[in-house]
Amino acid sequence: MSERRPFHRPQPRHWWAHKPYLAYTVRELSGVAVAVYGAILLAGLICLWRGPEAYAVYRRILSSDAAFAVHLVLLAAMLWHVLTWFQILPKTMPKLILRGRPVPQRQVTAIALLVAMVCSAALLVVVVAIGVTS
Amino acid sequence: MSDATIPSKSIELRVLRYRPASDREPVLVSYRVAYSDDMSVLQALQSIKDTQDGSLSFRWSCRMAVCGSCGMMINGEPKLACNTFVRDLAPDAVIIEPLQNFPIERDLVVTVGDFVKKIESIYPYIIPKVAKPVEDGAHLQTPAQMAAYESFSDCINCMLCYAACPQFGANPDFIGPGAMALLQRYNGDSRDGGRQFRLDQIHGEDGVWACTAVGICSEVCPKQVDPANAVNQNKTNSALDFFLHYVQPRSQP
Repeated sequence: MSERRPFHRPQPRHWWAHKPYLAYTVRELSGVAVAVYGAILLAGLICLWRGPEAYAVYRRILSSDAAFAVHLVLLAAMLWHVLTWFQILPKTMPKLILRGRPVPQRQVTAIALLVAMVCSAALLVVVVAIGVTS
Repeated sequence: MSDATIPSKSIELRVLRYRPASDREPVLVSYRVAYSDDMSVLQALQSIKDTQDGSLSFRWSCRMAVCGSCGMMINGEPKLACNTFVRDLAPDAVIIEPLQNFPIERDLVVTVGDFVKKIESIYPYIIPKVAKPVEDGAHLQTPAQMAAYESFSDCINCMLCYAACPQFGANPDFIGPGAMALLQRYNGDSRDGGRQFRLDQIHGEDGVWACTAVGICSEVCPKQVDPANAVNQNKTNSALDFFLHYVQPRSQP
């Protein structure tokens, strides 16, 4: 007679709050920060659409200390999101083979980060230039 | 015999034991083992089995990180017992448990049946792109073509990646990192023509889409196979295939 009686151990309930999974949890939460910032921008657009008074209220709220603090936190989360996004990038693409050898994943991340920084800086220059000339 | 091989120190191993005939649930049992600097956790377990309790059960074979049999949780991390050294864990007590996310058969032995079925489901062999009689010679491949899949062929089926994967823990039907690494080993091979058959196995929530790119599977892999890369690049392939199937006719396996 078989004595088989496999025991099913449950997954730890708070696995996401412990190492090594905590980094993953923080990475995913930084995505929520990106969504929140998107919602703030969308609210600005809606206020702009509703008229000058609504937009003035939106600008007054944004110039408060609390809004400044929130934006600092969102900026930090956004930067973390960018960094971790490009850390995952090489995991999501086929191996790059150059001269018969796979390109190291760290190199893919570094190049993508560099491109993102150059694009962000260029965008900033364009926005400032438009602001100065208008 | 050099000094390094003479057991001079001792360490406590707390092993999660489960004897289905007598235990209602697994219990931690403590053993003290004399160890030398060159002793692996596997050797420590063998020493317990030889001198303290012959009923302690665990899988092992090659003792050199090739066979993939001795995967277990060592202080909460999935590791091969044969290439984890006691000296790196001393002097604290070491907790040894069977691989997380798998049903326990007995002590450190887990059920592998579902994993083997997953491996079988993805056509784990080359399906030649073009039929070629033996007298016409070998199917040739350039070093660059080989580099595209080579690391995925290093998988030793140790299942550490499954023990590290919280999504497999939540959904045991998830095809999982190991089987996906093997799938990519064949789909990435320039001689293979079975890509479509394999892709058909990995659509849906039990396929690649159960993965949320946690990525710890690749970190615990003792062979640097990078199964996270295998799973995640096939999300793109699965999505592309979904749209292409409207415009391309399909053949059956």
